[in-house]
Amino acid sequence: MIIAERKPLEEILGLIDGFDRILAIGCGGCTSICLAGGQREVMELSGEIRSKLAESGKKKDIFEYTIERQCNANFFVEMDHMVKDYDAVLSMACGAGVQFVADRYPYVPILPALNTTFVGVDKDVGWYEESCRTCGDCVLGETGGICPVTRCAKSLFNGPCGGTRSDGTCEVDPNIPCAWYEIFKRLKGQNRLELITKVRPAREWRNQTRRTVVQEPYRDRYEKVK
Amino acid sequence: MGAEQKNTVDQNRINRILERQETRMKMYLSHCVHCSLCAESCFLYMSNNRDPKYMPSYKVINSLGKMYRKKGKIRMELLEDMKEIVWKSCVLCQRCYCPVGVDIPAMISLARSVCRSQGVFPGFDEAGNMESWL
Repeated sequence: MIIAERKPLEEILGLIDGFDRILAIGCGGCTSICLAGGQREVMELSGEIRSKLAESGKKKDIFEYTIERQCNANFFVEMDHMVKDYDAVLSMACGAGVQFVADRYPYVPILPALNTTFVGVDKDVGWYEESCRTCGDCVLGETGGICPVTRCAKSLFNGPCGGTRSDGTCEVDPNIPCAWYEIFKRLKGQNRLELITKVRPAREWRNQTRRTVVQEPYRDRYEKVK
Repeated sequence: MGAEQKNTVDQNRINRILERQETRMKMYLSHCVHCSLCAESCFLYMSNNRDPKYMPSYKVINSLGKMYRKKGKIRMELLEDMKEIVWKSCVLCQRCYCPVGVDIPAMISLARSVCRSQGVFPGFDEAGNMESWL
């Protein structure tokens, strides 16, 4: 799931400065589940903005609405007629959703109310942990299900580095375990320790362009569209 | 129940939402031939021992269908019942297949919007846990 956090209120106030009529839209997808940008959070944010503005004698017209997904055109039907009546749209979706909205309504400024932080897992209610950097070159099958890209401070495909402490923690932060030491322990427990000696070529991190995925059964279909 | 739950419904707001897509949605509701092919494509129906309550046609008829039948005159209790259908029985994966072209996800989405407009949406249960989408 995509995890996001709300931007500080002051930053959001700065973004909406100069716009009088604002459409604040929540997303019923990931940001709703991670308690950052669902209907409840839209109402809370709107209330905070109104209160803050009232302190300084200002007022803005803010309308709250939540659609089921901001990353899928099928769910925008209800919103299409609204946008033209507002000076700006304050989106509480992830970065993908914000861009999707911006592409759909290019004539109005789309402002992000959240910072998209990572792809992660639920540890508990309101507690999430990063688990995947979406690098597109998954090595979990050889690393005991522990992602070195996400959990190693240096994102090393081949480790450990020389910075592992004697207690198995990372030189960057003594409070986090060395990912490659964790991989070592996991592989040893599975009697697959030989995998740790396998040398993986360095990934080309530079010059990344926008990625697209078309699943194999659909390739003919979209090739025809092109 | 949503954090801002009210005890009375805003009839006008419900009607405005329903009227905006009335032609399209009523056409969908009247075009369902009860073939049950949508059920076969619903992973929740298939993974819940083919419980009829997970059939996509059941879900839309008993949520949006009821809303139109009642001409928007819906009590809060009914919206709470519908919340169970449109959120707990459907994840809006959009995989449901209809041979006559009924847009089932659009119908569930509209039913959710009506619920949302009255402050009815998944929140926290009494134990402080997020109500599951499933």
